[in-house]
Amino acid sequence: MTTPFPYLLVPHLWSARNRAARRERGDLSRGALFGGVALVVAYALFAGSFWLTAQLEDYAELGDYLLRLGLSWLFLTFLSFLAFSGVVTALSTFFLADDLRLLLAAPVAARRLFLARFLRTVVQASWMVVIFLVPVLLGVARARCVGPSFYLTAVLTIAPFAVIPVAVGTAVTLLLVNTFPARRARDILMLMGLLFAGALVIVLRMIRPEQLLTVQSLPEVTDFFTTLQSPVTPLLPSFWAGEALFAGLRGSADWLHMGALWTTALAAVVMVSTASERWHFDGYSKSQEASKARFTKLTLLDAVARALPLSGVRRQLLIKDLKIFLRDVSQWSQLLLLLALVLVYLYNFRVLDLERIPYMSGFLKNLYAFVNLGMAGFVMATIAVRFVFPAVSAEGPAFWIIRTAPISLHDFLWSKFWTGLVPVLALTEVLTIVGNQFLGVDPFLKVITALAIVFMCFALVGLAIGLGARYPRFGADPSQAAGSYGGVTFMVQAVLYVLVMVALVGWPSSLYLFRQLRRTPLSLVQESMMVVCLVGAAVVSLSIWIMSMRAGVRALERMED
Amino acid sequence: MIAIHDLVKHYGTFAAVDGVSLDVASGEIHGFLGPNGAGKTTTLRMIAGLLKPTAGRILVNGHDVATDPEAAKSSLGFIPDRPFIYEKLTAGEFLRFHAGLYGMDGNGVGGRVREMLGLFELGKWEHELVESFSHGMKQRLVMSAAFLHRPQSIVVDEPMVGLDPRGARLIKDVFRKMSQRGVAILMSTHTLEVAQEMCDRISIILKGKIIARGTVDELRGLAGGGDTHLTEVFLKLTGGSGLQEIDEVL
Repeated sequence: MTTPFPYLLVPHLWSARNRAARRERGDLSRGALFGGVALVVAYALFAGSFWLTAQLEDYAELGDYLLRLGLSWLFLTFLSFLAFSGVVTALSTFFLADDLRLLLAAPVAARRLFLARFLRTVVQASWMVVIFLVPVLLGVARARCVGPSFYLTAVLTIAPFAVIPVAVGTAVTLLLVNTFPARRARDILMLMGLLFAGALVIVLRMIRPEQLLTVQSLPEVTDFFTTLQSPVTPLLPSFWAGEALFAGLRGSADWLHMGALWTTALAAVVMVSTASERWHFDGYSKSQEASKARFTKLTLLDAVARALPLSGVRRQLLIKDLKIFLRDVSQWSQLLLLLALVLVYLYNFRVLDLERIPYMSGFLKNLYAFVNLGMAGFVMATIAVRFVFPAVSAEGPAFWIIRTAPISLHDFLWSKFWTGLVPVLALTEVLTIVGNQFLGVDPFLKVITALAIVFMCFALVGLAIGLGARYPRFGADPSQAAGSYGGVTFMVQAVLYVLVMVALVGWPSSLYLFRQLRRTPLSLVQESMMVVCLVGAAVVSLSIWIMSMRAGVRALERMED
Repeated sequence: MIAIHDLVKHYGTFAAVDGVSLDVASGEIHGFLGPNGAGKTTTLRMIAGLLKPTAGRILVNGHDVATDPEAAKSSLGFIPDRPFIYEKLTAGEFLRFHAGLYGMDGNGVGGRVREMLGLFELGKWEHELVESFSHGMKQRLVMSAAFLHRPQSIVVDEPMVGLDPRGARLIKDVFRKMSQRGVAILMSTHTLEVAQEMCDRISIILKGKIIARGTVDELRGLAGGGDTHLTEVFLKLTGGSGLQEIDEVL
C-alpha cells in the first residue's frame, strides 16, 4: 500500500477535530482554567528569562559566558528529559497502544508504521519542552533585542534537537522490549526512570550551588564555575543547540553546530528506522504476553491489616488498594522518586550554612521555617494530586463492584481518605520537623508548623479525595487523572490554600518572634489577632476537609453511569 | 484460502499452540472450537499477523504471513474478539480510514462505505461518533470494516458475542453469502449452535493441539455416534461437563 505515512496519523487529527467540534458542558471553564494557568506560567517564564538575560547584559563578557553556559545547561537538562521521555513514550506508542492491534493487522509497511509512530513519539515526548522553551527563548531574545533571524534559528535548532534524544530513547525501548520478557520492560523502564532521576539529582547536588553563599571564600567561586562547566561536553547535541542559539543571539549563524544537529538527527532516524523494521514486530509480539504478578503473597500486609481496628469492609478496601499499588511498579517507583527528592531537600537544609551570614542568621532561619512550611504544603499537594486525587478513578471499570456491593459510598470515600491521609501526613510531618531541626528554628515555630501540617494534611487530602470523586476519570491511568481538569482544579485550589495557610500562620508567628527578639510583651490586640489568625487557619482547614468530603460523597451518589 | 502448517507458540515454557495444522479452502466456513485458554485466539492472532509464531508457517491466499505480510494482510479480513475502534471517529470516518489502510482510494470509497454501513444496518449512524455505539453496533462496524476491501479470506474470533438475535442472524447471512462467493472463513466460537448450523468443517483445539476435525457428523462419530447435539460432542471430546462438581459445590 502506498499512501504516505502521515495517513496513519489521520485518525488522531480527525478525533481531535471531532472533539473540538462537539462542545460539552464545562468546556469553557476547563479552557479558561487551563488557559489561565498556562498564560501565568508562560508569562512567569518569559519575565524570568528576560530579567536574567537583562541582568547578565551588565557583565559584558562574563554575562555572555554565563548566558552561553546557561543555554548549554538548559539544553543538557532537556536532552536528558527528552531521552527518558522518548523511552517511556516509545514504549506506549510502539508497543502498548491499542490502535496497534488495528494497524498491525492491516497491510501497512513496517517503515511507514515506524515513521508515523516516531513522529507521534517525538511530538508526545517533546511538546512540554517546546512549550517551556518558547517563552524562555522569547524572553532571552527580547532582552537581547535580536532580529527575526533568531526565531528561525531557534526553530531550526529545536526541531533536530528534539528528534535526536527521542530517537535514542526509541532505540533503547526497542532493545529493552526485545531483551526482557514481555511487559516487564515497562517495569524496567519505570525503575530506569527512577535511577535516571536519582542520578540527575546527585549530579545537581555535586555542583553544590550553596557554595555561592560562602561569600568570604571567593576563590571557591571559580571552582564552582569549573564544576558548572564540567558536564557541558562539546560532543552532546545540547552543546550544539546552545552554541547555535547563542550565535543566533549575536546575529550570526553557527553552521557547524547546526549541521551537526541536523545530520545527527537524520542519521539517528535512519538507524532507528532500520532497527525498527527488523525488530519491532518481534518486540510487539513479546509485549502481548501477560506479565507475572509481583508480590503475589504480601502476607505481612494481610497480617497488618488484620491487626488494625477496622471494620471488615474498610479492611478489605485497604488491602485491595495497597496490593494494587504495590503490584504496579509505575506507582511506587514514582513515590520512591519523590522520597529521594525529599531527602535531597532535607540535605539542602543541612548544608545550608546560614551562620556565615552575620546578623541575619536568626531572621533567615525563621523565614526559612515558613519557606519549609510552604514547601511541605506543595510537596503535600503534589503527592495528593498524583496519588490521592486518582483514588476514586483508580477503581476504573471495576467501580461497579463497589456500587453494587452493600457498602455505603460514604464509607467507601472515607476509607479512601484515611488510606491517603496516613502516608501523606507521615511524610510531610517528617519533612517539616527534620527540616526545622536542621535549621535550628525557634521551638515555638517548630510546634506551630508541625500543627499546621496536621491541619493542612486533613484539608488537602480531603480536597483531593473530594475533587477526585467529583471529577473521576475511570478509563485513565493515575497520572492522566492527575493531569485532568479535576487534577488541575485541585492544584490551583491547593496552591491558593497553602499560600493562605502560610500567611495565616506566618504573620502571628513572626509577630511573636519579633516581640521575643526585642523582649517586649505582646499587646492584647496583637494577642487577639494572633489567636484569630491561628483559629482562622484551623477553621479554614477543617471546613475545606469536611465540605470537600461531603461534596465528594454527594457526587458519587449522584453518579448515574 | 488459509493454510497453517505445524504452528507453535510458546509463552516462556508454556506451549499455547503446539503444532497446529489447518486448511480452510475457498468457500469453506471452518469452525474453530475449544474451551477457554485452549489456544484459539492465539492461533487467530498469529494468522492476522499480530503475534509472531515460535515455529510453523501460515499462508493466506498463497502469501506467507512471515515473509510477505503486506500481501497476506491485504487479502485477509480480521475480526478480533476485542476490536479496537477510534472512539472519537464517526462510523463513516472509521471505515474511510480503514479503506485507506487497505489501499482503497478514489471516488468509489464513499459508495462502498455507505454500502457496508447499509448492509450491517448502520446507515443512519454514519455521522455519529463510535463512542455512542452499543457493543453490538461496534461489533457490526468492525465487521463492515473487515468486509470493506472484499477480502478473499476472513478470520473471525467470537463473532456472535454481544449481538442481539437480529444482529446474529444478519452476521450468519453475510457469512453464508461470502462463503458462496468463494471467501474462506475461519471462525472461532463458543456458540455451538452457530458452529453446528454454519460450519462445513470444525476443528477442536485443546491445550494447544487439534484433537478432532471433521464435519459435524464426523465429530459425532468420533464422540461415540448417535444423533447427539454438538454440545455433548464438544464436552465429551474436551473432557467432561463438570456437572458433578457443580452439584457438589451448590
